[in-house]
Amino acid sequence: MTERPTVTTLAPAVSVRGAVVNYGDAAVIRGVDLEVARGETVALLGPSGSGKTTLLYAIAGFLPLVDGEILLDGRLASSSTSSTAPEQRPLAMVFQHYGLWPHLDAIDTVAYPLRRAGRTRSAARAEAAELLDQLHIGHLAARRPAELSGGEQQRVGLARALARHPSVYLLDEPTAHLDTVLKTGLQTELAARMHADGAAAIHATHDVDEALAVADRVVLLRDGGVVQVDKPRDVYARPVDEWAAGLTGPAAFIVGSVEAAGADGADGPGRYLVRPDWVRFGGSLPATVEDVRYRGTHTDYRLSTTLGPLVLREPGPARFRVGEQTDCRVERVWRMPTSR
Amino acid sequence: MADRDVLAWTRRLLPPAALAVAAGLLVVVPLTVLARTALEQGLDVLLDAVGAASPAILASVWTSLAASALALLIGTGVAVLTERTDVPGRRGLRLAMLLAFIVPGYVAAMGWLSAYGPGGFLDDTLGLAAPALLGPLGVVVVMGVEASPIVYLIVVAGLATRAEPDLERAARASGAGPTETFRTITLPLLRPVIAGAGAIAFVLSVTSFGVPAVLGIPAGFSTMTTSIYRDLAFSSDPGSFASGVGLAVVLAVGAALLIVLTDRLMERRRTERSGAFSGPSGHIGTAPRGSVEHADGGSPRRWRALAAGTVAWLLVTLVVILPLLGLLVTALARAPGLAPLPSNWTLDNFREVLNAHTWEALANSVVLATGAAIGVIVLAGLAVLARRGHGAGLTGGLLGLTFALPGSTLAVAVLLAYGAALRDTLAIILIAYLAKFWALGYRPLAAGLDAIPADSYRAARMSGAGAWVTARTITLPLLRPMIVAGGLIVFMFGIHEVTMSSLLYGPGSSTLAVVVLNLQQYGDNGLTAALALILAVIVAVASLPLLGRTGVLGRVGWRR
Repeated sequence: MTERPTVTTLAPAVSVRGAVVNYGDAAVIRGVDLEVARGETVALLGPSGSGKTTLLYAIAGFLPLVDGEILLDGRLASSSTSSTAPEQRPLAMVFQHYGLWPHLDAIDTVAYPLRRAGRTRSAARAEAAELLDQLHIGHLAARRPAELSGGEQQRVGLARALARHPSVYLLDEPTAHLDTVLKTGLQTELAARMHADGAAAIHATHDVDEALAVADRVVLLRDGGVVQVDKPRDVYARPVDEWAAGLTGPAAFIVGSVEAAGADGADGPGRYLVRPDWVRFGGSLPATVEDVRYRGTHTDYRLSTTLGPLVLREPGPARFRVGEQTDCRVERVWRMPTSR
Repeated sequence: MADRDVLAWTRRLLPPAALAVAAGLLVVVPLTVLARTALEQGLDVLLDAVGAASPAILASVWTSLAASALALLIGTGVAVLTERTDVPGRRGLRLAMLLAFIVPGYVAAMGWLSAYGPGGFLDDTLGLAAPALLGPLGVVVVMGVEASPIVYLIVVAGLATRAEPDLERAARASGAGPTETFRTITLPLLRPVIAGAGAIAFVLSVTSFGVPAVLGIPAGFSTMTTSIYRDLAFSSDPGSFASGVGLAVVLAVGAALLIVLTDRLMERRRTERSGAFSGPSGHIGTAPRGSVEHADGGSPRRWRALAAGTVAWLLVTLVVILPLLGLLVTALARAPGLAPLPSNWTLDNFREVLNAHTWEALANSVVLATGAAIGVIVLAGLAVLARRGHGAGLTGGLLGLTFALPGSTLAVAVLLAYGAALRDTLAIILIAYLAKFWALGYRPLAAGLDAIPADSYRAARMSGAGAWVTARTITLPLLRPMIVAGGLIVFMFGIHEVTMSSLLYGPGSSTLAVVVLNLQQYGDNGLTAALALILAVIVAVASLPLLGRTGVLGRVGWRR
């Protein structure tokens, strides 16, 4: 490599160019491009089988590339002909099923990467103890995985990744097996730790709420290919196709001309996406309440209107009952691109 | 309602009752008679006899220790090569291990003799012979090779369940190189598995009769099992009889102690299991074997892989393939000592060995193996059913003990218990087979049943199926592969069984394996080789459907 260190620091933390990964003869990742800047968190959002884990494994160096290349900190890490060993890449990984070693207790697990980095046993254990404390599991240092709950195991796995002090964190569904409270707690924890290091993160998840909440940018994956890359708000409000719209939140579609409704974003006849928070009660559009779902913080209504079925979301408990007649207005729409 | 209650009770109590009767007749009665007979001899007579046989006991112990060390080395080494590296020809290595598994020990021993022994295939061509093959060294080497496939299968299963790929990936992602990952993660995770495999290899070796019979007896080197064989041949002499009975007891007690010890190890293994399922998800976990290594395919690695592969193949050729080739050449030779050239080849040995006596023995073997397979499946089914009630763990534990029960001991016990009525019949051999192989059928069946999620029964009941309909439409179809596999394994073991049949056969009830062994004792190498090959082919054909299922075979040597 000819890059000087100064160049390296300016380079993106991760840069994936035209990556193709095969499993057997079938391409599982088919020509993915992805760039992650330093300090940035990118969410990989897609249903199971879309290639999230495969892409992470390829970036980590566990799977060879058939075509394309992967650069980490500006240095070539994977191509179809060469591959840096996983342990020599500047990254750490949090595994979906934790990947904790049954024969090591929490503190030795976290000390493991520190030992590999050349620390003495006592220095490694001291630093590991500190990391466990920071994650509020200092008292579990002597426990093995079998003696830990799912949330505790995940914290140990996270501490092990933090101990690597990497440029990039690879997070494979890090909160998939946790309940909502633990999930929120751990998401906050993760963000705080990683940003303290100034590291980048690639966060694979099938949970749209999590993706929108944690990421600076969201990458939508389908069948091993990238469908859309955008900021969370744009992924939600400006999906590139119906599949993307459905993946990123509740969606209703109306066909025709919506100028009459006076909505933002209306632009002649076409196919329009309407999100539930873009519809309000009160207005000129008559609506019949078809279904009411109270969800605690808010209530979702399914409405039947002359424009077609709509979903309306409103904070607070239900105000209408099924069958009631009322009026609503569409404040905003997104005209679905027709190029596909 | 009362009728239904009676029915329910019958249903619940019938399997355990039938099981208790079967276990009593097959195991408890013979062992009790053996113990009583031993005590009747008088303790001092017994101790004297065992004391006189102490060289054989010592020989059994040290050859088995050495053989299990060798088996651990070969089995673990090949397992790591095939499962964790990209060594060329991994599939072939795997097949070679399975081949070594299905070739009976005494056939392998005869193969070694015809390849490396004096007057063997290499002696005739290159003038290379290893006379030490006849004697303790040969016994150790061939027993070690014989036990290595079981170690291999256990370690492969251990690598799959204990050392999930993600655990090794986590180490690599933590900065450990491949070698360091193996040393700090893979090996520690496998330690209990390797210890268990070692204990099983030891039990297999110490109870092995075929190998020391072929390689030890001609050299005057006796182990416990061959001593029992000799003692029983001269059982009219009270001293020999006492010695045989005493050795049978010592062998059984030793094997049982070791198995209990192994159980302890396995118990610890179970509690050490990771709480989380960190197994493969979708195709990724089963992704290219050794994908971890794949990724850093620098040329030095490739060279090392090539070197390791070459060494492994050389080893497999020497210990598995050449002996079988030796048998073939010996069987085809027109006369001993001729160069192995096609002009010197003939099928005369095959023609001559397939006489009326052999055909009868072959028929006996097939009848016994089939009977054992069917009987064992029925018995195993009973045990699995009974297990659902009280004493579930007890059933599994006792059955495990019967499989560890040395064939020699079991044969002596069955002979003492039923010899008066059934001596020289196929029935007495079948009783011994059923007792010995019961566990072989039970294990896959129980494992298969454990693998069925409880919700599939609940779902069937919620769909309107009664208990029997659920068993017929859900449980049985799901278990069918395990039933077939268990039956085939028992058939395979039944065809090549020699330890018990050589002690129990009489005129008209000799098995193919016994004929092979006797031919060898008479010293006719060509005929022996021909018949040994025929037997090996039958076993191989019976095991063909199993070859694809390393998992099932892995459970053979495994205690639940």
